Amino acid sequence: MAEKPLPVPRRLPPANGTPEPRKVRFSFAGRQRTAQEGDTIASALAAESVDVLTHSFKYHRPRGILCADGRCPNCMVDVDGRPNVRACVTPVTEGMRVRPQNVWPSMRADLLSLTDRFDRLLPVGFYYKTFIRPRFLWPLYERVLRGAAGLGKVDPKGHPDMHQRRRNLHADVVVIGGGPAGCLAALEAAASGASVVLVDDQADLGGHLRIRTRPIRGDARVDGLSGRAAASSLAHLVAADPRIRHLARATAIGIYEGRLVAVSQGETFIHVRAGQVVAATGAHERPLLFHDNDRPGIMLASAILRLRWLHDVRIGRRVVVVTDDDHGWRQAAELLAAGFEVTGLLDIRAEGSNATSREGAGEVRRAGVEIHHGATVLAARGTSRVTGLSFRTADGVERGIEGDLVALAARPEPVISLLSQEGVQPRWDDRIGDFVPGDLTPGMHTAGHINGPLPDALVLAEGSLVGRVAASAAGHDPRNGSTALPVAHLRAVADALAAVEPRPAVQTPGGRKQFLCVCEDVTVKELQQGVKEGFGSLELMKRYSTVTMGPCQGKMCHGLAARVQALFTGATPAQTGLTTSRPPFQPVSLASLAGPHLARTRRTAMHDRHEALGATWTDMGDWKRPLHYGDVVAECLAVHRAAGLIDVSTLGKLDVQGADAGEFLDWLHPNRFSDLKVGRVRYRAMLDDAGIILDDGAVARLGPERFLVSTTTGNIDAVDQWFGWWLAGGPRRVAVTDVTGQYAAVNLAGPNSREIMQRVTSLDVSREAMPYLAAAQGDVAGVPAIILRIGFVGELGYEIHVPADYGAHLWDALIDAGRDLGLRPFGVEAQRVLRLEKQHAIVGQDTDALSNPIEAGMGWVVKADKPDFIGRDASLVVEARGPRLVLTGIEIIGHDLPAEGASILREGSNTGIGRITSAKWSPMLERGIALGWVDISDATEGNRVTLRLGVGKAGGTTVGRIRTKPFYDPAGERLRA
Amino acid sequence: MSFLLGCPLCGPRDVYEFRFGGEIQKRPAPGSAPETWGAYLYARTNIDGIERAWWFHRAGCRRWFQAERDTRDNRVFQTAWLLPAASAAGGRDDSAAAVQPITARPPAAPAGAPGPEGTANG
Repeated sequence: MAEKPLPVPRRLPPANGTPEPRKVRFSFAGRQRTAQEGDTIASALAAESVDVLTHSFKYHRPRGILCADGRCPNCMVDVDGRPNVRACVTPVTEGMRVRPQNVWPSMRADLLSLTDRFDRLLPVGFYYKTFIRPRFLWPLYERVLRGAAGLGKVDPKGHPDMHQRRRNLHADVVVIGGGPAGCLAALEAAASGASVVLVDDQADLGGHLRIRTRPIRGDARVDGLSGRAAASSLAHLVAADPRIRHLARATAIGIYEGRLVAVSQGETFIHVRAGQVVAATGAHERPLLFHDNDRPGIMLASAILRLRWLHDVRIGRRVVVVTDDDHGWRQAAELLAAGFEVTGLLDIRAEGSNATSREGAGEVRRAGVEIHHGATVLAARGTSRVTGLSFRTADGVERGIEGDLVALAARPEPVISLLSQEGVQPRWDDRIGDFVPGDLTPGMHTAGHINGPLPDALVLAEGSLVGRVAASAAGHDPRNGSTALPVAHLRAVADALAAVEPRPAVQTPGGRKQFLCVCEDVTVKELQQGVKEGFGSLELMKRYSTVTMGPCQGKMCHGLAARVQALFTGATPAQTGLTTSRPPFQPVSLASLAGPHLARTRRTAMHDRHEALGATWTDMGDWKRPLHYGDVVAECLAVHRAAGLIDVSTLGKLDVQGADAGEFLDWLHPNRFSDLKVGRVRYRAMLDDAGIILDDGAVARLGPERFLVSTTTGNIDAVDQWFGWWLAGGPRRVAVTDVTGQYAAVNLAGPNSREIMQRVTSLDVSREAMPYLAAAQGDVAGVPAIILRIGFVGELGYEIHVPADYGAHLWDALIDAGRDLGLRPFGVEAQRVLRLEKQHAIVGQDTDALSNPIEAGMGWVVKADKPDFIGRDASLVVEARGPRLVLTGIEIIGHDLPAEGASILREGSNTGIGRITSAKWSPMLERGIALGWVDISDATEGNRVTLRLGVGKAGGTTVGRIRTKPFYDPAGERLRA
Repeated sequence: MSFLLGCPLCGPRDVYEFRFGGEIQKRPAPGSAPETWGAYLYARTNIDGIERAWWFHRAGCRRWFQAERDTRDNRVFQTAWLLPAASAAGGRDDSAAAVQPITARPPAAPAGAPGPEGTANG
């Protein structure tokens, strides 16, 4: 059926005296559209008479606005490449590109809508029943099904314009829901001195009052005001209260342990830690069941009023109101007040005695609305837009009624699923025929329509009372907190609820397309079929039919599914229960949960210098380090033949001071530092009590009670914690400070390094004055420095530490001084080659979680004569049993290098005797060299072994020879030069 | 887990600011039997109830302290640099550890395993 253009513009003119709103241009399905400021995507399209926003998930039926409140799936669209955006709550912005989802190839010609005609081929649970056989065709089925199924398309490349933020808030009282009860709870809690966070998913406060003209009474702050005026009055009061932080357009998606309320607000994800929580989540209308009840134009009554009052859009002219409650009469009156013609009011209840005294009844009768009590709605008319309803009167006569809108005005159901997540079980209340919150968990409170259809005065009174109760409970141990309300109030609530008629049983007149769940296209018939097949439990039915499992998280169908299931099983809704509610309450993007990209990157003080030299970078821990500057071979040879300069600022550094510092270091290490002389430096290897090597580095004694401890680049945080742990609460007079970032450091190495040093310092750097393992302090390049004569790379070298601010200056000064002496910057790769030539192990690369110092070839660090140190007993055990595997050098015959981790085999056999941990080509020695763990019996000098080249059995083999002494300068003369 | 933990220096903070440091234990005396060392190094009570454990305020003051917590519902009863030796809440007798924490053992080695975070947080 063709879309019938409405003769009257849907957009209402601006009120007298208000300027014409600014226009905003956007596109929908490739067509230019115009919105006005304040519009959501859906309201703008509604104003432009676009009624079909998407096609449904399974049957590809046309769908239009249903709730206009971000709760249902009927307006999910793709916005600028972001799928599943709810058009009805997303403000439209200039140039936005909006595309419908679930249409192929296009909305107008959606071929998949054929599924709607062949629904018999897609019975409930069809994915468990069909496409199973023949087995070999599954890959084909899968491809087709994957194309047809799913909601929207995610761009795997992501969105560079996503700027996720994360915030933390603390509040004595967190109020969820900004309707009248929530606002008053917030105001009263704040007035009691509590800090309050008020979370509301709407743009403005006031809840349902914003779409209500009827006056409200029961609190002096709003007495006699129309609903809309009361809403803005409450909003002003909240805004004026400095103790209340109002989070607008923010959804509480979950309540977690410790009353952590997770709030999603646009691109910001907020952790709100609540002393007390007031759930004032209200109640929401939900659909009624009849054939084709999903046609565009069939909307919740509140949706029609939202478009009218929040966006000045009148989405139709003539409304049929369908209801099961007095609520429908009030909504009919509201629709009349909003300028709609109400063509009929179909109340499924029989005409009761109070029919004339109902709120709204006067207005409805005065307007001459055709009223039918005891009506059974049978089916909707129209396809892409509803044109009317057919129904059966109480007398059994089938009739039709016209309207371009159908307002579904079932009694709003309490929104309890958020509270259920916190452990508050839903409780069926027979008096009102709804699920309401059961016993509250500590620190939780409820107020307003979440507790049932309370009259205005009680909603307002409850909000105020609960606000005060929560405030008084805040700040105390919540277990002692009280949720008790004054008896008079409880009595009044009980009386009010007793006066409510129970909601009538759900009406399902028959017809194939009574949609229960619009997300997953689950119909009443399918639930009926499921029950016949034995799925009597709602939790099983949920998994079988996917009812309540769609993107709306059951907001439209949670209670309805329980009622319909009960209808077919013969159980009561109370026995049937609700399906479990889980976070998130509203869908939230993975990007939002992931939060901002906060991976830390640390750059040394010389970073820019490396950059200028064209360094290739590598990541080490948080640090960026130059891997090389373009020529690893030249870098290696420069260090051996002239001089090289490497940035070692990333080494971890701990400043350890205090009277017991030496003794403390003795305790933490197998070797001794208390006897280290001031001005000397010594190697350190650190063990745990299992005797495993944790970390290594150097300890320099800078003063009688001051040591500088260096750690490997990646381990500083862990070593700092380890030091701190052994000091915690103890008597030792030691202070440990991580000074890694405070110092910039370089290692100047190579035969020419002494001459370079002489050019930049007045200190005596001669072999006699500053021998190997000296630790000097003095000016270098005019800045205060600590100079350590140590060398990882096996040549004469100086490790120079200066305050980080002088790092770039030191680098420049040394580069200048060494220019004519062949000085060349070298990177981590060259350093790895050079240290391998010396068989210096790297902790974490050549050692692992089973490596002890004795087997790693550094048994000399273990001073067994010390009475105790961490790892002593374990080391003694290893010493007593003798080494089994040893870390040894392996010379590689030929040009092929084994991979790190590759197996070492006994020559001529397939017997594994060890593994390679490092392997490099040495340009100086012109051969491959390696370190590896080898069985002690095979680790004899010169022994030939077979080396696998790849890990596992990949890559063939080569031959190696055990070398137990350093490949280069085994006597260490160059290092000590 | 999303409870608050009271750092003795910084006050109540989100548990994600902390590193869990393991049960408070007493380090065996030097020369203890290998079995004693083995139990100390590898056996954990892993109590379903009130636990006394070390915590490190990694994203705050970077100090170690002790907390008494119910592992079933994450209620924290007390935190201190060192818990009082005899706790009303029961648990194992850690009095020696509390008086002389230096002889207690931290939860996990800082290194040895590959990667800087090889030992990371609970």
